[in-house]
Amino acid sequence: MKAAQQIPRNALAWIILCQVLLLAPHALRVPAWLLVLYLAAFGWRVQLYRDRLAAPARWLKLVLIGAAMAGIGWSYGSLIGLEPTVALLLAAYALKLVESVSRKDAYVLIFLGFFLLITEFLFSQDLLIVLYAVVVAWLLTTALVALHRTGEGFELAPARLAGVMLAQAFPLMLVLFFLFPRIGPLWNVPIRAHAAQTGISDFLRPGDVARLTQSTDVAFRVSFEGEVPRAADLYWRGLVMSVLEDDTWRSLRFFDLPPSQRRPAPVQTEGEPLDYSVIIEPTQQNWLYALRYARPRDGGVMALADYTLYSPAVLESERRYTVRSWPEAVIGQELDPWRQRLETRLPEGGNPQSRALAAELRAAVDSDEAYIDRVLALFREQPFRYTLQPPLLGAEPVDDFLFGTRAGFCEHYANAFAVLMRAAGVPARIVAGYQGGEINPMNGTVLVHQFDAHAWNEVWLAGEGWVRVDPTAAVSPARVEFGLETAVRGEGSFLADSPLSPLRYRGVDWVNALRLRYDALTYRWQSWVVGFDAEQQVELLGEWFGRIDAKRFIAVLLGAFGVVLAVVALSLLVRAGPRRDPVARAWGRLRRRLVARGLPVYAGDSPATALARARIAFPGSRVELDALADDFTALLYRPGAGGDLRQLRARLRKLRLRRRT
Amino acid sequence: MDLRERLRARFRRWLARRIPPARQVTLDQRRIFIFPSRVGFFFFACLLVMLLAAINYQNNMSYALTFLLATLFVVAVLHSYANLSGLTLRSLRAGEGFPGQTVPFTIGLACANRRGHHALWLGFEDDPQAVSVSVLPERATTVTLYREAGPRGPFRPGRLRVDSSYPLGLLRCWTWVDLDLVGLAYPRPRPYPEPLGADNGQPRGRPSPRPGEDEFFGLRDYRAGDRLRQVYWKGLARGQSLQSKQYADAAASLDWLDWDAFPGVDTERRLSFLCQQCLDLHRRGRRFGLRLPGNQLAAGAGDGQRDRVLRALGRFGAPARGDRGEGAA
Repeated sequence: MKAAQQIPRNALAWIILCQVLLLAPHALRVPAWLLVLYLAAFGWRVQLYRDRLAAPARWLKLVLIGAAMAGIGWSYGSLIGLEPTVALLLAAYALKLVESVSRKDAYVLIFLGFFLLITEFLFSQDLLIVLYAVVVAWLLTTALVALHRTGEGFELAPARLAGVMLAQAFPLMLVLFFLFPRIGPLWNVPIRAHAAQTGISDFLRPGDVARLTQSTDVAFRVSFEGEVPRAADLYWRGLVMSVLEDDTWRSLRFFDLPPSQRRPAPVQTEGEPLDYSVIIEPTQQNWLYALRYARPRDGGVMALADYTLYSPAVLESERRYTVRSWPEAVIGQELDPWRQRLETRLPEGGNPQSRALAAELRAAVDSDEAYIDRVLALFREQPFRYTLQPPLLGAEPVDDFLFGTRAGFCEHYANAFAVLMRAAGVPARIVAGYQGGEINPMNGTVLVHQFDAHAWNEVWLAGEGWVRVDPTAAVSPARVEFGLETAVRGEGSFLADSPLSPLRYRGVDWVNALRLRYDALTYRWQSWVVGFDAEQQVELLGEWFGRIDAKRFIAVLLGAFGVVLAVVALSLLVRAGPRRDPVARAWGRLRRRLVARGLPVYAGDSPATALARARIAFPGSRVELDALADDFTALLYRPGAGGDLRQLRARLRKLRLRRRT
Repeated sequence: MDLRERLRARFRRWLARRIPPARQVTLDQRRIFIFPSRVGFFFFACLLVMLLAAINYQNNMSYALTFLLATLFVVAVLHSYANLSGLTLRSLRAGEGFPGQTVPFTIGLACANRRGHHALWLGFEDDPQAVSVSVLPERATTVTLYREAGPRGPFRPGRLRVDSSYPLGLLRCWTWVDLDLVGLAYPRPRPYPEPLGADNGQPRGRPSPRPGEDEFFGLRDYRAGDRLRQVYWKGLARGQSLQSKQYADAAASLDWLDWDAFPGVDTERRLSFLCQQCLDLHRRGRRFGLRLPGNQLAAGAGDGQRDRVLRALGRFGAPARGDRGEGAA
């Protein structure tokens, strides 16, 4: 192969660097053997460059491709889905490097690199990931430039040029980004089948959890249009669990409901509504969180019969929805007999002590309200404690909890409370969601973290509908008033799993300020860039251009391109003229000064002859003029012989033309 | 085929009007053509796939990256153009040689701006071979390209193709310049018969002796090409090394290469004979002159004289171009 057709060494180095950077964010998602494959590919390619190894033969290539596909199928259990597809692309990327010898292959490597950048965005569009991707895009462009340069030694010029070109392209990209019509998906694409679901799970089985894992991830961010309610009132309802089977609570499935019960019963709204918008992080689940009683304000969000919100599409990426809530509204004013039966049903037998306790307590009071107070008083007065590391419960979990361990977190209390209520015939259920949140003073948004996950109860009372009761608040009022961190301060278990999380260092002012500032930025980023959709586009463009029509769009598009390209062209073609000699420039300035002071300087004059006349005209500055004449002569006629341009400029600055000594 | 030829001819005429021949050309927007390269189209295809991914996943950052690359392509148009723009090409030396020889053409490239001209490929039209060169900012360099000399007479190597896909390879930027390069093919040397009236055309009673063999002058070592008659056989017989006899007029006497010495022979053949004669005389280190109809070259010796004579022979009968095709410019 001709040397001219080979990948230049510089370009190869840039490409390998890009490959490492492209792999890095995927590294935790792909099987470990893929990383080994990359190392082997780099080793082979370098040996190939040094002529120590030959390029792989055709059969070997086919074997390697087959092996990579089989390996991915084995690691993921299938080749279909986003993760296996990305792993396959990454494997192909590693193998392609080994067989890349000519420039043509290098183009494939670089363009595939751009495509892999996009796959990273399918997993996360976090601000930091995007900044990282910008750097990688810059390096890929650098590799593309280096591919066309002939310089032998290492040079940074390609990086500079690539940076300049990307910077020039950036404003045009913005124009396209905001003007390009956002249309719906053209066909179904493989989704993230292998991603772990995060957030609240759709069942609750308190006896099995010995240790609540806490994640510092943000679950969602809320921006209120008015004032933010008190933290103790922020009960973000997600799931309502009405069915208790095998010591496990779960929510009703759509087909569990009789057709007449599938739609939420109308609610009489009263009191001041709260308007807010939520940006929820991807959960791979369908439910959305809101304060009660919530009505969605935009399409694509369903209201379920138990007054929760539901997204028909799995939340695979950040999602923004707006809600209006009436906290004072009564929900479930009328209780259907079917529901009445459902919400009071307990499994046959089991937990005899608890049933006996419920019967005894209910008999002692004359109303359901009084019974609730009595049970809450029980939690308060008996030595129950709030802990994130509860002991395991046995075969009769509620009995064990109420009469044995008496230690647990929200799920334990919600479970025990609901069982006690139902045992006494009071309709009760568990609500899972988040409680509280942190107000970011930078932008007023409420930050709800995964560790704010909470479970509480709703009890139905005649005339009041479903009423929220939080038994955890009875045991640990701090949990609700001040959040988890304060509630478990004595135990030291808060965020025990994440020693490096900035949330643990909330006490350190600057760390906290930085964290909140970054989060405010993330919110802005998510609401304006990541969450930019057709609806926002219409709103924004309508605001900018008054009315939306194609002619105007094309005019704006062409106008913006014209302006930017004209600026680029000017900078490329006009400013690029030859540099004027700095000595000649300095002489030009001095000459103008002399002429302005009335000293004639002729076209043929050298600085020395002109200055010789000047020292007669300005005897007061004779010494300085002589020194300047020497400097000019040295710089102009003996280049490289010790003339000092800086000294010359300093002298020129200091020069005062004085006629008198 | 015919249509293709006609289109080609048309294109040449158009090109000749647009970029007329000149010994020095500075590239500007009149002379530079630009079009996406094959890689550029491949890039477009990749962008399309990326756009589909962005649409199907409703992923705004994918949109942003796709648009960034698309606009990078647009910006690259200007950068590709700027890479060629301002490049000054000058014809420095047109080659000369015998028919069939590859002869060099030297072209000067100069950069007047602060960016330089990178990864240029230079080649003559119809010639797939190209030479890669970069011109550093505010510097100049030279490139030598080779072309095979045709039949005797001045010949043009054709338009020069300057081609570059710098900086991204997505666009090809090129130009066809005619640097008015004219090479020269000498006559093909042929063995010649005994010339008529060799000695200045003055009549003589006896057949004239062969040039350089008049009066014995001395001996020197045999050189390839010396005539057998010149060889000092006696010395060889005595066991001395092979030597040649030198004659008194070898350095001093004058020979004329004369058009009229081969009457009745057609022009090209006659020129070929004169060419061979010239080479012979030069090899023997003699002084010689040239007489052609309407052109006489004063006598001289050495490489310079040989080249002058060969040039005159090569150019014989060609329309006069003043001094322009004279080689070194």
